[in-house]
Amino acid sequence: MRKLLIFLTRYSIVGLFLLLEIVSFALFVGNERYPKSVFFSSGNAVISGLYSISSHVTDFFKLRSNNQELCEENARLKNRITLLENRLALEQAGLADTTRFVNPEKETTFVSARIIHNTTNRMRNYITLNRGASDGIRPDMGVVGPQGVVGIVRSTSERFSTVISLLNPIMQVNCKIKRNNYNGLLRWNGKDYRYAQLTDIPRHVSLYIGDTIVTSGLTTTFPEGIPVGVIENFMLNEGDAFYSIQVKLATDFRSISNVNIINYKNRDEQRMLENLNESDETR
Amino acid sequence: MLQTIIQNIIRFIVLVLVQVLVLNHIQFLGFINPYIYILFILSLPVKTDRWIILLLSFALGITVDSFADTLGLHAFACVLTGFLRDPLIKLLSATEENPGATPSFTTFGASMYVKYVVMLTLVHHMTIFFFDAFSFTNFTGTLFRAVASTAISTLFILGIQLLKKH
Repeated sequence: MRKLLIFLTRYSIVGLFLLLEIVSFALFVGNERYPKSVFFSSGNAVISGLYSISSHVTDFFKLRSNNQELCEENARLKNRITLLENRLALEQAGLADTTRFVNPEKETTFVSARIIHNTTNRMRNYITLNRGASDGIRPDMGVVGPQGVVGIVRSTSERFSTVISLLNPIMQVNCKIKRNNYNGLLRWNGKDYRYAQLTDIPRHVSLYIGDTIVTSGLTTTFPEGIPVGVIENFMLNEGDAFYSIQVKLATDFRSISNVNIINYKNRDEQRMLENLNESDETR
Repeated sequence: MLQTIIQNIIRFIVLVLVQVLVLNHIQFLGFINPYIYILFILSLPVKTDRWIILLLSFALGITVDSFADTLGLHAFACVLTGFLRDPLIKLLSATEENPGATPSFTTFGASMYVKYVVMLTLVHHMTIFFFDAFSFTNFTGTLFRAVASTAISTLFILGIQLLKKH
Protein backbone atom coordinates (compact mmCIF):
# COMPACT_ATOMS: atom_id res chain seq x y z
CA MET A 1 0.00 0.00 0.00
CA ARG A 2 2.76 2.42 0.97
CA LYS A 3 4.66 1.53 -2.16
CA LEU A 4 1.57 2.16 -4.24
CA LEU A 5 1.17 5.61 -2.67
CA ILE A 6 4.80 6.44 -3.35
CA PHE A 7 4.37 5.24 -6.91
CA LEU A 8 1.25 7.34 -7.38
CA THR A 9 2.76 10.53 -5.95
CA ARG A 10 5.86 10.11 -8.07
CA TYR A 11 4.05 9.54 -11.35
CA SER A 12 0.85 11.53 -10.84
CA ILE A 13 2.70 14.72 -11.83
CA VAL A 14 3.90 13.14 -15.06
CA GLY A 15 0.37 11.80 -15.62
CA LEU A 16 -1.19 15.23 -15.09
CA PHE A 17 1.44 16.75 -17.37
CA LEU A 18 0.69 14.27 -20.14
CA LEU A 19 -3.07 14.70 -19.69
CA LEU A 20 -2.86 18.50 -20.00
CA GLU A 21 -0.55 18.25 -23.02
CA ILE A 22 -2.92 15.82 -24.75
CA VAL A 23 -5.88 18.11 -24.06
CA SER A 24 -3.97 21.12 -25.46
CA PHE A 25 -2.87 19.18 -28.48
CA ALA A 26 -6.39 17.91 -29.19
CA LEU A 27 -7.78 21.43 -28.83
CA PHE A 28 -5.15 22.80 -31.19
CA VAL A 29 -5.58 20.14 -33.86
CA GLY A 30 -9.37 20.02 -33.59
CA ASN A 31 -9.53 23.77 -33.73
CA GLU A 32 -8.00 23.91 -37.18
CA ARG A 33 -10.57 21.64 -38.73
CA TYR A 34 -13.89 22.36 -37.06
CA PRO A 35 -15.54 25.65 -36.16
CA LYS A 36 -14.21 26.67 -32.78
CA SER A 37 -16.39 27.06 -29.73
CA VAL A 38 -17.26 30.70 -29.34
CA PHE A 39 -16.40 30.66 -25.63
CA PHE A 40 -12.65 30.16 -26.05
CA SER A 41 -12.21 32.55 -28.96
CA SER A 42 -12.22 36.25 -29.58
CA GLY A 43 -15.97 35.95 -30.25
CA ASN A 44 -16.43 35.61 -26.47
CA ALA A 45 -18.26 38.64 -25.02
CA VAL A 46 -15.61 39.49 -22.40
CA ILE A 47 -12.71 39.15 -24.79
CA SER A 48 -14.32 40.99 -27.68
CA GLY A 49 -15.43 43.68 -25.22
CA LEU A 50 -11.83 44.17 -24.15
CA TYR A 51 -10.69 44.26 -27.75
CA SER A 52 -13.41 46.82 -28.53
CA ILE A 53 -12.09 49.12 -25.82
CA SER A 54 -8.49 48.77 -26.89
CA SER A 55 -9.31 49.35 -30.54
CA HIS A 56 -11.19 52.52 -29.58
CA VAL A 57 -7.87 53.83 -28.33
CA THR A 58 -5.69 52.60 -31.18
CA ASP A 59 -8.20 53.69 -33.82
CA PHE A 60 -7.66 57.26 -32.75
CA PHE A 61 -4.09 57.13 -34.03
CA LYS A 62 -5.14 55.76 -37.40
CA LEU A 63 -7.82 58.38 -38.06
CA ARG A 64 -5.87 60.41 -40.56
CA SER A 65 -4.90 57.56 -42.87
CA ASN A 66 -8.36 56.00 -42.53
CA ASN A 67 -9.95 59.26 -43.59
CA GLN A 68 -7.68 59.33 -46.58
CA GLU A 69 -8.65 55.79 -47.54
CA LEU A 70 -12.36 56.45 -47.10
CA CYS A 71 -12.17 59.58 -49.20
CA GLU A 72 -10.44 57.69 -51.97
CA GLU A 73 -13.02 54.93 -51.82
CA ASN A 74 -15.83 57.49 -51.85
CA ALA A 75 -14.41 59.04 -54.94
CA ARG A 76 -14.14 55.69 -56.71
CA LEU A 77 -17.70 54.79 -55.77
CA LYS A 78 -19.06 58.11 -56.97
CA ASN A 79 -17.34 57.57 -60.28
CA ARG A 80 -18.93 54.18 -60.57
CA ILE A 81 -22.36 55.52 -59.71
CA THR A 82 -22.26 58.07 -62.48
CA LEU A 83 -20.97 55.45 -64.91
CA LEU A 84 -23.75 53.03 -64.00
CA GLU A 85 -26.43 55.71 -64.05
CA ASN A 86 -25.39 56.61 -67.55
CA ARG A 87 -25.46 53.00 -68.68
CA LEU A 88 -28.83 52.45 -67.03
CA ALA A 89 -30.29 55.46 -68.75
CA LEU A 90 -28.99 54.20 -72.08
CA GLU A 91 -30.45 50.76 -71.54
CA GLN A 92 -33.84 52.00 -70.45
CA ALA A 93 -34.02 54.21 -73.48
CA GLY A 94 -33.04 51.44 -75.89
CA LEU A 95 -34.70 48.30 -74.52
CA ALA A 96 -38.09 49.02 -73.00
CA ASP A 97 -39.28 45.40 -72.82
CA THR A 98 -36.56 43.89 -70.61
CA THR A 99 -38.01 42.45 -67.41
CA ARG A 100 -35.10 43.31 -65.16
CA PHE A 101 -32.24 45.70 -65.42
CA VAL A 102 -30.03 44.22 -62.67
CA ASN A 103 -28.39 40.89 -63.33
CA PRO A 104 -29.31 38.46 -60.53
CA GLU A 105 -25.67 37.61 -59.73
CA LYS A 106 -24.97 41.29 -59.05
CA GLU A 107 -27.58 41.74 -56.34
CA THR A 108 -25.30 42.35 -53.40
CA THR A 109 -25.41 44.70 -50.47
CA PHE A 110 -22.54 45.79 -48.26
CA VAL A 111 -22.42 45.92 -44.47
CA SER A 112 -19.63 48.09 -43.13
CA ALA A 113 -17.68 46.80 -40.14
CA ARG A 114 -14.64 47.69 -38.08
CA ILE A 115 -11.75 45.33 -37.41
CA ILE A 116 -11.30 44.98 -33.66
CA HIS A 117 -8.63 42.29 -33.72
CA ASN A 118 -6.24 41.26 -36.46
CA THR A 119 -3.02 39.28 -36.75
CA THR A 120 -0.53 39.08 -39.61
CA ASN A 121 2.46 37.30 -38.12
CA ARG A 122 1.00 33.89 -37.47
CA MET A 123 0.77 30.90 -39.77
CA ARG A 124 -3.04 31.00 -39.68
CA ASN A 125 -4.39 34.48 -39.24
CA TYR A 126 -7.88 35.48 -38.17
CA ILE A 127 -9.71 38.79 -37.91
CA THR A 128 -12.50 39.77 -35.51
CA LEU A 129 -15.19 42.24 -36.66
CA ASN A 130 -17.70 44.27 -34.64
CA ARG A 131 -20.68 43.02 -36.64
CA GLY A 132 -22.45 39.73 -35.98
CA ALA A 133 -25.52 37.62 -36.60
CA SER A 134 -27.84 40.43 -35.48
CA ASP A 135 -26.51 42.57 -38.35
CA GLY A 136 -27.32 39.80 -40.82
CA ILE A 137 -23.81 38.38 -40.99
CA ARG A 138 -23.60 34.65 -41.72
CA PRO A 139 -20.63 32.30 -42.17
CA ASP A 140 -19.13 32.16 -45.70
CA MET A 141 -19.79 35.79 -46.55
CA GLY A 142 -16.92 37.61 -48.24
CA VAL A 143 -15.10 40.50 -46.56
CA VAL A 144 -13.48 43.29 -48.59
CA GLY A 145 -11.51 46.36 -47.57
CA PRO A 146 -11.11 49.67 -49.34
CA GLN A 147 -8.25 48.26 -51.41
CA GLY A 148 -9.42 44.70 -52.05
CA VAL A 149 -10.24 41.25 -50.72
CA VAL A 150 -9.68 40.66 -46.98
CA GLY A 151 -11.21 37.28 -46.07
CA ILE A 152 -14.26 35.10 -45.51
CA VAL A 153 -16.52 35.07 -42.43
CA ARG A 154 -15.88 31.93 -40.40
CA SER A 155 -18.25 32.08 -37.45
CA THR A 156 -20.55 34.65 -35.92
CA SER A 157 -21.88 35.41 -32.47
CA GLU A 158 -24.69 37.82 -31.72
CA ARG A 159 -22.62 40.98 -32.15
CA PHE A 160 -19.23 39.85 -33.40
CA SER A 161 -17.85 37.70 -36.15
CA THR A 162 -14.49 36.08 -36.85
CA VAL A 163 -13.02 36.12 -40.33
CA ILE A 164 -10.51 33.78 -41.95
CA SER A 165 -7.95 36.25 -43.21
CA LEU A 166 -6.58 35.98 -46.73
CA LEU A 167 -3.32 35.40 -44.79
CA ASN A 168 -4.38 31.88 -43.88
CA PRO A 169 -3.40 28.84 -45.93
CA ILE A 170 -6.73 27.11 -45.26
CA MET A 171 -8.41 29.75 -47.43
CA GLN A 172 -8.33 29.70 -51.23
CA VAL A 173 -9.79 32.44 -53.38
CA ASN A 174 -10.85 31.83 -56.95
CA CYS A 175 -9.22 34.66 -58.90
CA LYS A 176 -8.66 35.62 -62.49
CA ILE A 177 -6.28 37.76 -64.47
CA LYS A 178 -8.24 40.84 -65.38
CA ARG A 179 -6.61 41.25 -68.80
CA ASN A 180 -7.42 37.80 -70.26
CA ASN A 181 -9.93 36.22 -67.83
CA TYR A 182 -7.88 33.07 -67.07
CA ASN A 183 -8.74 31.96 -63.56
CA GLY A 184 -6.73 30.23 -60.86
CA LEU A 185 -6.55 29.72 -57.12
CA LEU A 186 -4.90 32.22 -54.81
CA ARG A 187 -3.44 30.92 -51.56
CA TRP A 188 -1.06 32.33 -48.95
CA ASN A 189 2.09 30.32 -48.19
CA GLY A 190 2.58 31.65 -44.66
CA LYS A 191 5.74 33.62 -45.29
CA ASP A 192 5.24 37.30 -46.08
CA TYR A 193 2.04 39.18 -45.28
CA ARG A 194 2.41 41.28 -48.43
CA TYR A 195 2.48 38.42 -50.95
CA ALA A 196 0.27 35.45 -51.85
CA GLN A 197 0.66 32.79 -54.53
CA LEU A 198 -1.55 32.21 -57.56
CA THR A 199 -1.66 28.70 -59.05
CA ASP A 200 -3.48 26.84 -61.83
CA ILE A 201 -2.64 29.31 -64.61
CA PRO A 202 -1.60 27.07 -67.56
CA ARG A 203 1.74 27.64 -69.30
CA HIS A 204 0.36 28.79 -72.64
CA VAL A 205 -1.07 31.95 -71.09
CA SER A 206 1.11 35.02 -71.55
CA LEU A 207 1.67 36.97 -68.37
CA TYR A 208 3.16 40.34 -67.59
CA ILE A 209 4.52 41.68 -64.31
CA GLY A 210 1.96 44.16 -63.06
CA ASP A 211 -1.10 42.30 -64.39
CA THR A 212 -4.09 42.93 -62.12
CA ILE A 213 -5.64 39.95 -60.31
CA VAL A 214 -9.35 40.24 -59.45
CA THR A 215 -11.94 37.86 -58.02
CA SER A 216 -13.51 35.63 -60.66
CA GLY A 217 -17.10 35.65 -59.44
CA LEU A 218 -17.28 31.88 -59.89
CA THR A 219 -18.06 31.35 -56.23
CA THR A 220 -20.93 32.86 -54.29
CA THR A 221 -18.60 34.48 -51.76
CA PHE A 222 -17.17 37.31 -53.85
CA PRO A 223 -18.78 39.04 -56.83
CA GLU A 224 -16.69 39.40 -59.96
CA GLY A 225 -13.98 42.01 -60.28
CA ILE A 226 -12.92 42.85 -56.72
CA PRO A 227 -9.19 43.65 -56.72
CA VAL A 228 -6.93 41.06 -55.08
CA GLY A 229 -3.47 42.22 -56.11
CA VAL A 230 -0.98 42.58 -58.93
CA ILE A 231 1.58 40.11 -60.26
CA GLU A 232 4.94 40.82 -58.63
CA ASN A 233 6.83 38.15 -60.56
CA PHE A 234 6.21 34.68 -62.00
CA MET A 235 8.18 31.52 -62.70
CA LEU A 236 7.77 28.67 -65.15
CA ASN A 237 10.06 25.67 -64.70
CA GLU A 238 10.92 23.41 -67.61
CA GLY A 239 8.53 20.57 -66.79
CA ASP A 240 5.72 22.50 -65.19
CA ALA A 241 2.26 22.73 -66.71
CA PHE A 242 1.34 25.69 -64.53
CA TYR A 243 3.00 28.97 -63.58
CA SER A 244 3.94 29.73 -60.02
CA ILE A 245 2.99 33.36 -59.59
CA GLN A 246 3.85 35.75 -56.77
CA VAL A 247 1.03 38.23 -56.22
CA LYS A 248 1.46 41.47 -54.29
CA LEU A 249 -1.76 41.78 -52.32
CA ALA A 250 -3.82 44.93 -52.79
CA THR A 251 -4.81 45.03 -49.12
CA ASP A 252 -2.20 46.07 -46.56
CA PHE A 253 -3.17 43.76 -43.69
CA ARG A 254 -1.05 45.71 -41.21
CA SER A 255 -2.93 48.98 -41.53
CA ILE A 256 -6.45 47.95 -42.51
CA SER A 257 -9.22 48.79 -40.03
CA ASN A 258 -12.49 49.37 -41.93
CA VAL A 259 -14.04 46.65 -44.08
CA ASN A 260 -17.28 45.79 -45.87
CA ILE A 261 -19.02 42.44 -45.58
CA ILE A 262 -20.65 41.31 -48.81
CA ASN A 263 -24.19 40.05 -48.52
CA TYR A 264 -25.15 38.30 -51.76
CA LYS A 265 -28.94 38.24 -51.82
CA ASN A 266 -29.48 35.33 -54.19
CA ARG A 267 -26.91 33.04 -52.60
CA ASP A 268 -29.37 30.55 -51.15
CA GLU A 269 -31.26 30.33 -54.42
CA GLN A 270 -28.06 29.74 -56.39
CA ARG A 271 -26.71 27.23 -53.86
CA MET A 272 -29.98 25.30 -53.85
CA LEU A 273 -29.96 25.03 -57.61
CA GLU A 274 -26.32 23.95 -57.63
CA ASN A 275 -26.89 21.39 -54.91
CA LEU A 276 -29.36 19.66 -57.22
CA ASN A 277 -26.41 18.87 -59.51
CA GLU A 278 -24.46 17.34 -56.66
CA SER A 279 -27.34 15.14 -55.59
CA ASP A 280 -27.56 13.99 -59.22
CA GLU A 281 -23.96 12.80 -59.07
CA THR A 282 -24.41 10.87 -55.85
CA ARG A 283 -27.50 9.13 -57.13
CA MET B 1 0.41 33.15 2.24
CA LEU B 2 -2.71 35.13 1.34
CA GLN B 3 -0.53 38.02 0.24
CA THR B 4 1.38 35.69 -2.11
CA ILE B 5 -1.87 34.43 -3.65
CA ILE B 6 -3.25 37.92 -4.24
CA GLN B 7 0.10 39.04 -5.63
CA ASN B 8 0.06 36.15 -8.10
CA ILE B 9 -3.54 36.76 -9.16
CA ILE B 10 -2.70 40.41 -9.90
CA ARG B 11 0.44 39.33 -11.76
CA PHE B 12 -1.62 36.89 -13.84
CA ILE B 13 -4.15 39.54 -14.86
CA VAL B 14 -1.61 42.28 -15.57
CA LEU B 15 0.67 40.05 -17.61
CA VAL B 16 -2.19 38.61 -19.69
CA LEU B 17 -3.59 42.08 -20.40
CA VAL B 18 -0.18 43.50 -21.33
CA GLN B 19 0.43 40.48 -23.55
CA VAL B 20 -2.84 40.41 -25.46
CA LEU B 21 -3.62 44.11 -25.68
CA VAL B 22 -0.12 45.47 -26.31
CA LEU B 23 2.56 42.92 -27.14
CA ASN B 24 0.47 40.71 -29.45
CA HIS B 25 0.14 43.74 -31.72
CA ILE B 26 3.83 44.59 -31.70
CA GLN B 27 6.09 42.87 -34.17
CA PHE B 28 9.70 44.00 -34.16
CA LEU B 29 11.18 43.92 -37.65
CA GLY B 30 7.99 42.31 -38.87
CA PHE B 31 8.31 38.87 -37.33
CA ILE B 32 9.58 39.02 -33.74
CA ASN B 33 6.70 38.65 -31.33
CA PRO B 34 7.69 38.81 -27.64
CA TYR B 35 5.76 36.67 -25.17
CA ILE B 36 6.40 37.96 -21.66
CA TYR B 37 3.35 36.46 -19.95
CA ILE B 38 5.34 33.34 -19.02
CA LEU B 39 6.94 35.53 -16.34
CA PHE B 40 3.91 34.40 -14.32
CA ILE B 41 5.05 30.77 -14.44
CA LEU B 42 8.65 31.78 -13.84
CA SER B 43 7.69 33.81 -10.76
CA LEU B 44 5.56 31.28 -8.88
CA PRO B 45 7.09 30.56 -5.44
CA VAL B 46 9.75 27.84 -5.51
CA LYS B 47 7.88 25.61 -3.08
CA THR B 48 4.61 25.61 -5.07
CA ASP B 49 3.25 22.08 -5.58
CA ARG B 50 4.00 20.84 -9.05
CA TRP B 51 0.40 19.95 -9.87
CA ILE B 52 -0.63 23.51 -9.00
CA ILE B 53 2.07 24.85 -11.32
CA LEU B 54 0.82 22.58 -14.13
CA LEU B 55 -2.84 23.59 -13.70
CA LEU B 56 -1.96 27.30 -13.46
CA SER B 57 0.24 27.03 -16.56
CA PHE B 58 -2.63 25.41 -18.42
CA ALA B 59 -5.07 28.13 -17.28
CA LEU B 60 -2.61 30.84 -18.31
CA GLY B 61 -2.10 29.26 -21.73
CA ILE B 62 -5.81 28.83 -22.38
CA THR B 63 -6.48 32.45 -21.39
CA VAL B 64 -3.88 33.80 -23.81
CA ASP B 65 -5.12 31.36 -26.46
CA SER B 66 -8.67 32.64 -26.13
CA PHE B 67 -7.50 36.15 -26.91
CA ALA B 68 -5.24 35.16 -29.78
CA ASP B 69 -7.67 32.63 -31.33
CA THR B 70 -5.04 29.90 -31.14
CA LEU B 71 -6.83 27.44 -28.84
CA GLY B 72 -4.32 24.89 -27.47
CA LEU B 73 -1.11 26.44 -28.80
CA HIS B 74 -0.07 28.53 -25.80
CA ALA B 75 -1.60 26.02 -23.40
CA PHE B 76 0.67 23.29 -24.76
CA ALA B 77 3.80 25.43 -24.52
CA CYS B 78 2.90 26.73 -21.04
CA VAL B 79 2.27 23.27 -19.59
CA LEU B 80 5.62 22.10 -20.96
CA THR B 81 7.34 25.17 -19.48
CA GLY B 82 5.61 24.63 -16.13
CA PHE B 83 6.61 20.97 -16.12
CA LEU B 84 10.29 21.70 -16.81
CA ARG B 85 10.46 24.53 -14.28
CA ASP B 86 11.17 22.54 -11.11
CA PRO B 87 13.72 20.11 -12.60
CA LEU B 88 15.55 23.13 -14.02
CA ILE B 89 15.63 24.89 -10.65
CA LYS B 90 16.99 21.69 -9.06
CA LEU B 91 19.58 21.39 -11.81
CA LEU B 92 20.76 25.00 -11.52
CA SER B 93 20.77 25.40 -7.75
CA ALA B 94 23.46 23.67 -5.72
CA THR B 95 21.92 24.49 -2.36
CA GLU B 96 18.34 24.19 -1.16
CA GLU B 97 16.25 27.34 -1.59
CA ASN B 98 14.51 28.80 1.39
CA PRO B 99 10.82 27.84 1.26
CA GLY B 100 8.38 30.30 -0.27
CA ALA B 101 11.07 32.29 -2.04
CA THR B 102 10.00 33.77 -5.35
CA PRO B 103 12.53 33.34 -8.18
CA SER B 104 14.24 36.69 -8.85
CA PHE B 105 17.68 38.24 -9.15
CA THR B 106 18.05 38.53 -5.40
CA THR B 107 16.96 35.03 -4.41
CA PHE B 108 18.61 33.14 -7.27
CA GLY B 109 21.62 35.34 -7.92
CA ALA B 110 22.08 37.13 -11.21
CA SER B 111 23.81 34.44 -13.27
CA MET B 112 21.51 31.62 -12.20
CA TYR B 113 18.40 33.73 -12.71
CA VAL B 114 19.46 34.75 -16.21
CA LYS B 115 20.14 31.10 -17.10
CA TYR B 116 16.77 30.09 -15.64
CA VAL B 117 14.85 32.73 -17.63
CA VAL B 118 16.70 32.13 -20.90
CA MET B 119 16.25 28.34 -20.82
CA LEU B 120 12.55 28.31 -19.97
CA THR B 121 11.79 31.13 -22.43
CA LEU B 122 13.65 29.23 -25.14
CA VAL B 123 11.66 26.04 -24.43
CA HIS B 124 8.38 27.99 -24.51
CA HIS B 125 9.18 29.91 -27.71
CA MET B 126 10.53 26.89 -29.57
CA THR B 127 7.34 24.99 -28.77
CA ILE B 128 5.14 27.91 -29.84
CA PHE B 129 6.86 28.60 -33.14
CA PHE B 130 7.31 25.00 -34.26
CA PHE B 131 3.85 24.00 -33.10
CA ASP B 132 2.37 26.98 -34.90
CA ALA B 133 4.18 26.16 -38.15
CA PHE B 134 3.19 22.51 -37.53
CA SER B 135 5.96 21.19 -39.74
CA PHE B 136 9.71 21.25 -40.15
CA THR B 137 9.57 22.78 -43.61
CA ASN B 138 11.40 26.08 -43.58
CA PHE B 139 13.18 24.77 -40.46
CA THR B 140 15.86 27.46 -40.33
CA GLY B 141 13.33 30.23 -40.81
CA THR B 142 11.20 29.05 -37.89
CA LEU B 143 14.29 28.45 -35.77
CA PHE B 144 15.52 31.97 -36.46
CA ARG B 145 12.15 33.47 -35.53
CA ALA B 146 12.03 31.44 -32.32
CA VAL B 147 15.55 32.36 -31.24
CA ALA B 148 15.16 36.04 -32.13
CA SER B 149 11.86 36.25 -30.25
CA THR B 150 13.42 34.45 -27.27
CA ALA B 151 16.17 37.07 -27.14
CA ILE B 152 13.67 39.95 -27.16
CA SER B 153 11.33 38.29 -24.62
CA THR B 154 14.24 37.54 -22.29
CA LEU B 155 15.37 41.17 -22.46
CA PHE B 156 11.82 42.28 -21.62
CA ILE B 157 11.48 39.86 -18.70
CA LEU B 158 14.90 40.63 -17.22
CA GLY B 159 14.21 44.34 -17.71
CA ILE B 160 10.93 44.10 -15.79
CA GLN B 161 12.63 42.19 -12.98
CA LEU B 162 15.48 44.72 -12.78
CA LEU B 163 12.98 47.60 -12.56
CA LYS B 164 11.14 45.79 -9.76
CA LYS B 165 14.39 45.28 -7.88
CA HIS B 166 15.05 49.01 -7.62
